[in-house]
Amino acid sequence: MSFEYRPMPDLGLPLRERLGQYPREPDLTIDALRTAARWIVVGLVKLQFPTEVRGSLPAGERIALVANHQSHLDSLVVLAALSERRRREIACLAAKDYFFERLPIALGGSLFAMAVSFDRTKYTELRRWSRILRDQQRGCLLVFPSGSRRRSEAHDAILFVLAKSGWTIVPVAIAGTAAAWPVGAALPRPFRRVRLTFGAPLSDVPTRDLAAALGEFWKANL
Amino acid sequence: MEALAQPLAAYTALAALGVVVFGALLTATRLRAGWTPYRTWLVMLPIIFGALWLGIWAWALLVTILSIYGFKEFARATGLYRERLFVLVVYAAMVAANLAGYFGRFGLFMVVPVWTVGALTLVPIIRNRTEGMLQGFALSVVGIVYFGWFLAHLTYLAIWTGGLGLVLYIVLATQLNDVIAFLFGKLLGRRHWTVLSPNKTVEGSLGALAFSIAFAFVNWPLAFPELPWWGALGLGVIVGAGGQIGDLTLANFKRNVGIKDFGNLLPGHGGVLDRLNSLTLVAPVALHFVRFFFDGFP
Repeated sequence: MSFEYRPMPDLGLPLRERLGQYPREPDLTIDALRTAARWIVVGLVKLQFPTEVRGSLPAGERIALVANHQSHLDSLVVLAALSERRRREIACLAAKDYFFERLPIALGGSLFAMAVSFDRTKYTELRRWSRILRDQQRGCLLVFPSGSRRRSEAHDAILFVLAKSGWTIVPVAIAGTAAAWPVGAALPRPFRRVRLTFGAPLSDVPTRDLAAALGEFWKANL
Repeated sequence: MEALAQPLAAYTALAALGVVVFGALLTATRLRAGWTPYRTWLVMLPIIFGALWLGIWAWALLVTILSIYGFKEFARATGLYRERLFVLVVYAAMVAANLAGYFGRFGLFMVVPVWTVGALTLVPIIRNRTEGMLQGFALSVVGIVYFGWFLAHLTYLAIWTGGLGLVLYIVLATQLNDVIAFLFGKLLGRRHWTVLSPNKTVEGSLGALAFSIAFAFVNWPLAFPELPWWGALGLGVIVGAGGQIGDLTLANFKRNVGIKDFGNLLPGHGGVLDRLNSLTLVAPVALHFVRFFFDGFP
């Protein structure tokens, strides 16, 4: 008789990389810190930014919230608008070269904004994510397909991967965060109004038209 | 001479001197591979001495954190970490063992593993599951006894009036014992003697044992002057032999699991368990040796 050892898949990875992995491996310490950080962030956002939420988040096991990106506040505002169950499972795709190169930023991004690492500099990254998304039976992703707070148009590639992997794409328009926490400002400006609009799932839109459909949705709701 | 009467001040000065000398040696020999573990020691030594200077509570806290982190590495390596309830019971027991040690409740301290095993038997019942439960239970027992309770002896040692010198000696001597075994093995090693750690040689192991016995006598007037000569000899043997047995035990664990290191928290050393491997076994054996023969503890 012998025991069968199954080491954790992220054994030997540096903490910085473990923080950015998706799906997340259970870790009592990091999970507890993430829960505490999430409650702090949600409390602060709700206190400081009166948020109007339009539409409702559809139920489902594999949901990708696809939003426009103007500010660091975007992911936090979406987080605050969700149910606690969704908050626990949500993962926000974040650029590895920006969020996961240094440990303090990785800790902040992962614990407070639920960020997971997406390496936009590697051309194999989309293939890796395609595999992950196909295998993942449930989850909630927050994606900013423009890739940057300074761009407004959606990039096709990640949308294509999401759609082909069978995830439900829900468009989300975020308005007001650019004024609440402008690009380049060190701190947010509290008590600015923010509006969040959840659209209907884009299930009947052909994959090649997704970027255009999203662009129209964002424009109509800003 | 008064400073010599205070082992903590003397050992702090010796450690600082050691850091300077070793740094100079590394510079002179241009041994690049030594810089990474050296830099890690530059972080570890202030943490160890800082905790001891702050007081027994800080030392107990450090031992508790190291036990929990070490067990976490073990649990992640074996896959036990997926069974959260087992892990949480062991964490709680580690805190309890160190609290019992800190408050000097020897009876309670000695029965912590009993109560923990009792609590662990409830986990399969609460989970209402049989699959993997025997393995989870067995690994948790190893976790609390070997990584929790054994290491908590370092907390209990520190509360004895003369225990601080003993703590300092045990911590530093086990670390030095590892280095000496490695150096003797590299310089003189010819005959390999164990499959648990194929690089170990008879010459390296015997050299480290001889060094540890000599080192115990060097430390005798400073760290444990109350003990007779054969007490110093006994401690030397415990560190020299026990340290290597502890090292082999962890090497055996790693080979069974199929990993090289338990973690990567300490660059140049591996994980916390890779650094504590000798200390884990030496601490309880040394405490019970001194307590049994010299009845020095409360």
